[in-house]
Amino acid sequence: MKKYAIFAVTLILLVSAVSMFAMSAKDYVIVGTTDKVTSLDPAKAYEYFSDNILQNVMTGLVEYIPGTTKLVPALAKSWEISPDGLTYTFHLKSGLKFSNGDPINAQAFKFSIDRVIRLKQNPSFLLADVVKDVKVIDDLDFEIHLKYPFAPFINILAFTVSYPVDPKVYPADKVYNGLPVASGPYMITKLVRGQEVELRRNPNYYGKPAKTPIILLKIYRAANNLYMALLNGEVDVAYRTLLPQQFAQIENNPKFKVYVGKSPFIREVVFDVNVKPFDNPRVREAISYAINRKQISTEIFKSQVVPLYTLIPDGMWGHKNVMPKYDPQKAIEILKSLGYSKSNPLKISLWYTPSHYGSTESDLALTIKNNLEATGLVKCEVKYAEWATYIDYWTKGVMGMFLLGWYPDYFDPDDYMWPFLESKASPSMGSYYSNKTVDQLLLDARLLSDVPGRTALYSAVQDIMVKEAPYVPLFQGEQQVVAKPEVGGILMDPVQIFRYYLLYKK
Amino acid sequence: MKTYIITRVLLAVPMVLIILTIIFFVLRILPGNPVMALLGPKAPPQVIKAMEHEMGLDKPIIVQYWDYLKDIAKGDFGNSAYTGVPVIQELMQKFPATLELTIFAMIVAVSIGIFFGTYGAYHFGKTLDVAARVYSIFVYSFPVFWFGIMLQLIFGVWLHWLPVSGRSSPFMIPNHIYTGLYVIDSILNLQWDVLLDTVEHLVLPSVALGVVISSIFVRMVRSNVLLSLSSQYVVAARARGASEKKVLFKHALKNAMAPILTIMGLEFALLLAGAVLTETTFSWPGIGSYLVTRISYRDFPAIQGTIVFFALFVAIVSILVDIINAWVDPRVRY
Repeated sequence: MKKYAIFAVTLILLVSAVSMFAMSAKDYVIVGTTDKVTSLDPAKAYEYFSDNILQNVMTGLVEYIPGTTKLVPALAKSWEISPDGLTYTFHLKSGLKFSNGDPINAQAFKFSIDRVIRLKQNPSFLLADVVKDVKVIDDLDFEIHLKYPFAPFINILAFTVSYPVDPKVYPADKVYNGLPVASGPYMITKLVRGQEVELRRNPNYYGKPAKTPIILLKIYRAANNLYMALLNGEVDVAYRTLLPQQFAQIENNPKFKVYVGKSPFIREVVFDVNVKPFDNPRVREAISYAINRKQISTEIFKSQVVPLYTLIPDGMWGHKNVMPKYDPQKAIEILKSLGYSKSNPLKISLWYTPSHYGSTESDLALTIKNNLEATGLVKCEVKYAEWATYIDYWTKGVMGMFLLGWYPDYFDPDDYMWPFLESKASPSMGSYYSNKTVDQLLLDARLLSDVPGRTALYSAVQDIMVKEAPYVPLFQGEQQVVAKPEVGGILMDPVQIFRYYLLYKK
Repeated sequence: MKTYIITRVLLAVPMVLIILTIIFFVLRILPGNPVMALLGPKAPPQVIKAMEHEMGLDKPIIVQYWDYLKDIAKGDFGNSAYTGVPVIQELMQKFPATLELTIFAMIVAVSIGIFFGTYGAYHFGKTLDVAARVYSIFVYSFPVFWFGIMLQLIFGVWLHWLPVSGRSSPFMIPNHIYTGLYVIDSILNLQWDVLLDTVEHLVLPSVALGVVISSIFVRMVRSNVLLSLSSQYVVAARARGASEKKVLFKHALKNAMAPILTIMGLEFALLLAGAVLTETTFSWPGIGSYLVTRISYRDFPAIQGTIVFFALFVAIVSILVDIINAWVDPRVRY
């Protein structure tokens, strides 16, 4: 018995001795998510989570003031735009360094932009479509020459694709798979895919140091796993994505604080305009009358999303609330005029992908199907495919009508119009929509730099959308964050950059 | 014995080859282009072509198959299409987590099996026996993920006794990784707080998996012990005046163990499959979670690698079990 007692005492002493050296809980914040990391090379990263991590470990020439859509200099000290809008001259801050101590200079910028264009990965079009070349003047100064004047160009420079990479580490002609060399508030010290990402303060960051030394991003497979971990106190913050009903329950739970903000994320029905019967704009118009966005918002998303009637989200300049509101009678009229009847209904298929947009997707598809069939003149079959297959199908034109979503690359209406509607861009969205007038209007809007002028052009494009309806915008998302009450620094950013470097424990 | 081992090893080769072939062709028949899944819909055609070439997907399927077989024969599972890291390296990182979970689940299952099975048989037809039988039917019908969620709810969310996700708390990992099994590593590092944390994290997933698997053990142990109890050596033992405890454990149970050992080998394969579901429920960073993630990315080399790895592992375990069986029970002849 005595032996056991001595053993127990020693064990307790040992445990307490070890825990004395353990980290204080204030030194780290654990953020839980169901998102997945793909590539962390700025030349390749092109989905929300990877980009969001990069936005915390890297910086560009310019950046948004947290909580606003206002751009300010970041790595750049200042810049000038030539009167013809074709040359941007940047002057860098002096003494900038990457996390490994290598200099951030004009050569690094030239290397990085050239590399993005050369690698031709997903986001490369953002630079490749407009940038002619980059000319280094000296260590701190360089020029970017454009192919044509492009008003939102400065916004693209705030996006991850334009972040500088270390020429000594990143290969010039290959995607880099290692841990990013940081230029932002944090650096990644550990990355286990599908499991966790560890961020630690970057000692070489030029700006204000991150509030908390370490951020741990814990990756959960599904909303349920994240929800359980949250309730059990294993994560301090849950960001993206709980199920609507889980979020609604947490809202009433006094143990947590809930943050809600507008999101620039939109969801839409896409029509492949080459596929029958969707090649007929009248059919598309009828469908857009028949879909009840309010019902979708309240029943499926517990009012956590806002119905949307154009591609440009509410809150952004250029937004015009134009598309048809829910009017089943109007839908019936159009369908009848096209010769459809109860005995000869319009037979269509609606596709969705079951996991990419969360587990609410099948309910969304079913609601739309029910909306359409409620007219009595439509027979709608719901089909689904996993994301990898889905992409394959839409590029091959297998799906005539399907659900998709969109996060902006840069905060400008151009990013909600050009990729969707411009003839060369629309195939990547699976719609293949092409209209010479729209192309011209969109190009004119790119060439202009004044907001009222561009607003008028986008207004004209949105008016055309009413009758042509190659997309049915459904709703605009909401940013939702759940956190323990002791966590501070959670900011609902209009550009939806989740800033880990502002988080702290009280 | 030697010839037996050689035959068994040789027989495992066609089995692995068949599995490998099936998974190779099934993946390629399924819709979903891995290049598109990796690059996304906006990738320009020349980039897609270059990537297809890099991954060897532009070659005829038979050539791809032959190349793959050659690589596997050399022990090369290829590089993950998703991360670019050699698949074998990723598997080796994830495997200890799965192995640790599987071993603990096995301990849970066997303990329950021996306890309920032995006492059930001993009290044949009485309450305990009926309870053991009802238990085994009951848990056999549990879907492991459902049971896992229930455990999470009760012992995590309601009682706050145990963690519900992952292998360890933040920064609670062994300083030096020797085996990848955190329980052993934390002991080797003399990090008792890490050991405690690791065990806490192991409890719910291994109980979830172990309980579901235990029903087979309960029934096996029960019927085998029943058989032993009615055998002449038990009668002889009792006639010699051996205590009931000794009769039950030394004579009846010990002799009933040989077939149970075989079942353990077979169950190990089932446990690995169960681990896929358990790992997703408990965010356990093992091979199961790895496989599920990679399937959604159509990461061909990773999926193929994982399945072949599983197949090899099961083959090795079943060979080992057979050898141990032959060694334990001298009546087994080959």
